[in-house]
Amino acid sequence: MMKVKTQDKIIISLVCTCVGFMAAVQFQSMREPTKRDTRDLWEIRSQLQVEQKKQQQLYEQIADAEQIISQYQQKSEQQQLITLKESIEELEKKAGLTEVTGSGVKITVQPIFEGTEIRQQYPAITPELLHRLINELNSFGATDIAIENERVINTTPIRYVNGETYVNNHALPPVPLDIYVLSPNPKRLLNYIQVSQSKDYFSIEKLNLIAELQEEITLPEYNGLVRLDMLNVNEAVETGDE
Amino acid sequence: MWLPALFLIVGLTLGLLTDITIPDQYSDYLSIALLAAFDTLFGGIRAHLEGNFEEKVFISGFFFNISLAALLAFIGVQLGIDLYLAAVFAFGVRLFQNIAIIRRKMLEKNNSLLKIEKNKRK
Repeated sequence: MMKVKTQDKIIISLVCTCVGFMAAVQFQSMREPTKRDTRDLWEIRSQLQVEQKKQQQLYEQIADAEQIISQYQQKSEQQQLITLKESIEELEKKAGLTEVTGSGVKITVQPIFEGTEIRQQYPAITPELLHRLINELNSFGATDIAIENERVINTTPIRYVNGETYVNNHALPPVPLDIYVLSPNPKRLLNYIQVSQSKDYFSIEKLNLIAELQEEITLPEYNGLVRLDMLNVNEAVETGDE
Repeated sequence: MWLPALFLIVGLTLGLLTDITIPDQYSDYLSIALLAAFDTLFGGIRAHLEGNFEEKVFISGFFFNISLAALLAFIGVQLGIDLYLAAVFAFGVRLFQNIAIIRRKMLEKNNSLLKIEKNKRK
């Protein structure tokens, strides 16, 4: 057997250490870092509250559904029919297929004319503005919205076609036009609208929003076909579902 | 040959214990450098078995190969060519060759030892 010099041995050993170190570092870098729960007590508590609220809502829904079931089971055929009709009506009302009357806010969109010498184009309402406004109204607690005579439902399209804005596939008339919004708390809605961002966006387009309280507004029903063939059940599992 | 193995383990534990990680974008460089290091190491073992081991060649080869591989990977990234694949290929082929030669040498040595023992018995 060959005699290995001590110096060679030491050098090979040192290189081996280097290689080992590099391998270990690479191994550790490649390994998925374990995700740590870094939320503090407050965050966990608020998360818990959110979940509890969700749970409460779900319990309420279950209770409602169970009540309906028991109504079906207990009552006679005649009464069952009545219950069925009631739930259909309820659902139609939710979907916006019936007329609704209630207290709300009437928003009038008016053009602003400034005394400039440049000839000004007649302002028009764009779909983006309407989208923004409707989103904001919904976040302010609006339950039902109608633009002029067009009821806005969940699937209402707002599009820009040939220089005109279409809602529910009908062209909107030129401004001034009215937007009717129903809300369980109209006063609060009014306050929100008066300080909303939409007001700024509309004024950039030379449009003014004037909101006023109305004790009783009747919104027309949605009289188109509700297309649901594009809708799918969302089967993605979300956190908390398991 | 137990000393290098021991030091390899020492290096591994050192790396695992220090908890060092490198950023994702540099992991390519480290992997290629690691491959170069392995190549040099096995080249050294082969040279040692063949009896022409030179420490200067070994040490210079170790560092030069690592830096060349990293440089190649770097240039590849800058040019948008996967140049590090060239290094992976070259080192991979050489690694296999070296290991094959080491295996053969070891077998030969075993055989010659057996023969010597047989001759002695006779």
